Amino acid sequence: MSSIIWYVYEFARKAWITRFADAKSQKEIIDKPPRFRDFPIVIAENCIGCGSCTASCPSPTAIKLVRDKTTEEAEGLTYPVINESGCIRCGFCAEVCPSDPKTLECGENHFIKEEFSIIPSKRRYIVDDYLCIKCKACIKACPVDAIKEENGRIVVDQLKCITCGDCVDSCKVKGAMKGVFIDNLEDQKKLINLIVSTLEKYIESKQEELEKLERESILQLKLPLSSIWDEALKIIPDTEIAHEIIENAVDRLKVRIITWNKDKCKKCQMCVPECPIGAISFDEEKDTIVRDNDKCCRCSICYQTCPFGVIKYFISKFVLDVDDDGEEYMFITVKPSHLDYDFIKGEHNES
Amino acid sequence: MLNRLKDIVRKTSINVCIINCGGCNGCDVELVACLSPRYDLEQYGIYLQNNPRDADILLLTGAVTEQWEDKLRRIYAKTPEPKVVLAVGNCPQSGDVFAQEGGRVNAPASNYIPVDAAVSGCPPRPSEIISAVLKVAPGAMVAKSQANREIKDDD
Amino acid sequence: MIVPIGPVHPGLKEPLRLKLETQGEQVLKAEIDYGYVHRGIEKIMEGKTWQKCIYLSERICGICSYEHTQSFAEVLELMAGEVVPPRAQFLRVIVNELDRIQSHYLANSTYFKSLDHEMLFMKVLELREYAMDSLELISGNRVNMGWNVVGGVRMDADDGHFKQILDNLKFIEDNHQRIVDLFSEGPVIGLRSKGVGLMTREEALKGRAVGPIGRASGLKHDCREFHHTYKDYFDFKPIWRKEGDNYARTMNRFDEIPQSIDLIRQAIENIPEGDIRKPIEIKTGYYDWRNEAPRGEVRYMCETNGNLIKNISIRTPSITNIDSCAKYMLPGVPTIADAIATYASSDPCIACAERVQITDKALKTVEIKDMY
Repeated sequence: MSSIIWYVYEFARKAWITRFADAKSQKEIIDKPPRFRDFPIVIAENCIGCGSCTASCPSPTAIKLVRDKTTEEAEGLTYPVINESGCIRCGFCAEVCPSDPKTLECGENHFIKEEFSIIPSKRRYIVDDYLCIKCKACIKACPVDAIKEENGRIVVDQLKCITCGDCVDSCKVKGAMKGVFIDNLEDQKKLINLIVSTLEKYIESKQEELEKLERESILQLKLPLSSIWDEALKIIPDTEIAHEIIENAVDRLKVRIITWNKDKCKKCQMCVPECPIGAISFDEEKDTIVRDNDKCCRCSICYQTCPFGVIKYFISKFVLDVDDDGEEYMFITVKPSHLDYDFIKGEHNES
Repeated sequence: MLNRLKDIVRKTSINVCIINCGGCNGCDVELVACLSPRYDLEQYGIYLQNNPRDADILLLTGAVTEQWEDKLRRIYAKTPEPKVVLAVGNCPQSGDVFAQEGGRVNAPASNYIPVDAAVSGCPPRPSEIISAVLKVAPGAMVAKSQANREIKDDD
Repeated sequence: MIVPIGPVHPGLKEPLRLKLETQGEQVLKAEIDYGYVHRGIEKIMEGKTWQKCIYLSERICGICSYEHTQSFAEVLELMAGEVVPPRAQFLRVIVNELDRIQSHYLANSTYFKSLDHEMLFMKVLELREYAMDSLELISGNRVNMGWNVVGGVRMDADDGHFKQILDNLKFIEDNHQRIVDLFSEGPVIGLRSKGVGLMTREEALKGRAVGPIGRASGLKHDCREFHHTYKDYFDFKPIWRKEGDNYARTMNRFDEIPQSIDLIRQAIENIPEGDIRKPIEIKTGYYDWRNEAPRGEVRYMCETNGNLIKNISIRTPSITNIDSCAKYMLPGVPTIADAIATYASSDPCIACAERVQITDKALKTVEIKDMY
């Protein structure tokens, strides 16, 4: 009964009618709050086609780059397309987009400055100062202005870099701009160690030929790549990455070889105190000089010290190339050292 | 006459069953949030029943995992006609982030049972789910029941 | 008689198969079948960069999604020997506690739903929406927030956001006590909860129960005590109870909500100025890190190889909680209706639980296996 009286009272106040007319559903049901990250909006005209959005997207089916057909009037546009059934609305693509103004807009994420490179990449691009000829072709090629000249050196800004690889393609000197794999540094070290030890063993096994080698001549050898390929794949299973690492390592490698002719040795022990790291020692029981091959740093001081020519010192360089029959070989060039001429001016006893 | 009355009733009283066939729970908690007083799914005549034998609509969430491959078909067979399947979230449509190398999911769900409609988002907001359910469900229910009737008449 | 329940069942929220061995109505033994939600997340993560993995770790569990991203980020940060800037730490605490509030409310509402108490179910969900609002306001999404990254957080919050969060928290706090009183003083619900699903402290230790489920049985273990942010800046003491029944578990979760609100207030009052993010280089190595998710201790064991995740193993709280529920809580429950309620009171999250680690004590070997 009391409620009926209340209703009558409300009718009398006419407040009920106004409230009925103003009735709305609660706004938060329909409205999305300002910070809500909806599906990204694509502004196709701004796109530079770098592909950093596809590289950073954590969902495999969410985003892909498409290219319109090139007509006579205009070149076809390249732009990303969002697949809504795959997009997880994280906004990474809007955060990494390097174009200005941004191609992708998503919530507040496209306001975030690209201070921290969050594009996942297997490579890091760096400039080899030794080889760089400063032609600045890479600066022109870079789509995001990540490469610049600083104090006469070309530097890559890692925070801006989107790892597209255009700079490597444009570089005129082989090896001056490098895309280094950063995922498996430990494995790379192992692989390079394997290459060096294999090559060194191979050259040392040719000691007889090296002994006969004259001063101004060179010795050319070759070792098939297949001899280390299986072991290399055990360390790094990806054939492409493994081949690139081997190629880079072999091309830049310079191995110093020390041969030790025990027959000539007179046991004068002059080399023992000269060795800077104590790799040479005198074994009193067997009455021989012992050289620790693992310890030796190939500094050539023993070679310069020895008065009897027991020790010989060679420098070898390598290149990985395809042979006539199509198989890949590591070509080895060994030449004797010129240290004795350069420093000692031929006074050295050559017996 | 009776059929028309049935259609009207079907439009206003819909029972829903949620099937989580291997998702992250995100879509399920958003579906529970739809029940909350703010979004209030029941004011539109939609009731959460969670029993396939009672349901008119199956709400699929989650990418289809190995265990669900045959069970999904069985649940679909148990649901009485007319029935509508609505895929909620990205997982039943594309597998979302799980459809990668190493993932043990068999998305999309339409490989196993016919999916009538889908809501995108990971997870979709409750308002998006409600608007999608309301847009699709009543019409689809009536259309399906009519189609079934025609098949019956032909026989 | 054996009563099978699930995987799709009106009483269950998630797919799981419960086999109850009963005599009359009394449950003698319970068995649980997992494996309906196994997606192989740890396997997908292998050989990927953290940018791709952090969203996968978010999708391990949709309810406590925030804590997973934080643990994943922290394991990589601490492996590199760095700590994020203080402002980012405080923002993480705010979101973490908001996430805990909504998770506890959801768990309790599921418990009330399983008792068929519609009114409390609705009331609790209504309060939960205010926590969800605050989460969406600060991070940009309701469930899978995508807000954490290695090295900090993605978006800053200003005073306007904090004010709105405090308003929402005020509303929760005003209405919280009324709902707790409805539960704790209402005779019907109290009778159905007190003394049902008992788990003693020894059983909880044996079953390795963690989080509110373990704390309700007297295991005073909360990983926030050891966390560097909480230890350095916050006044925090874990809440625990002795009874170990459904009532204690539900009340323990209810009691943690005002504590979380208090922690958020402390964080907003003392939040320092400064950066919210700093660049962090991923180191090569191994690290393991424990963190308190809403459901209990979550542990990340991660091995990296330079830039990539080489191996990751994640131990989530649900697997131990569900296990101890099946072993110790369910046997002895007087009716099957109470069995469902007991199961719901242990806050099961199947999406979390689909991974397992096997430790062989006799051979002293640890074998990490993705069994299910």
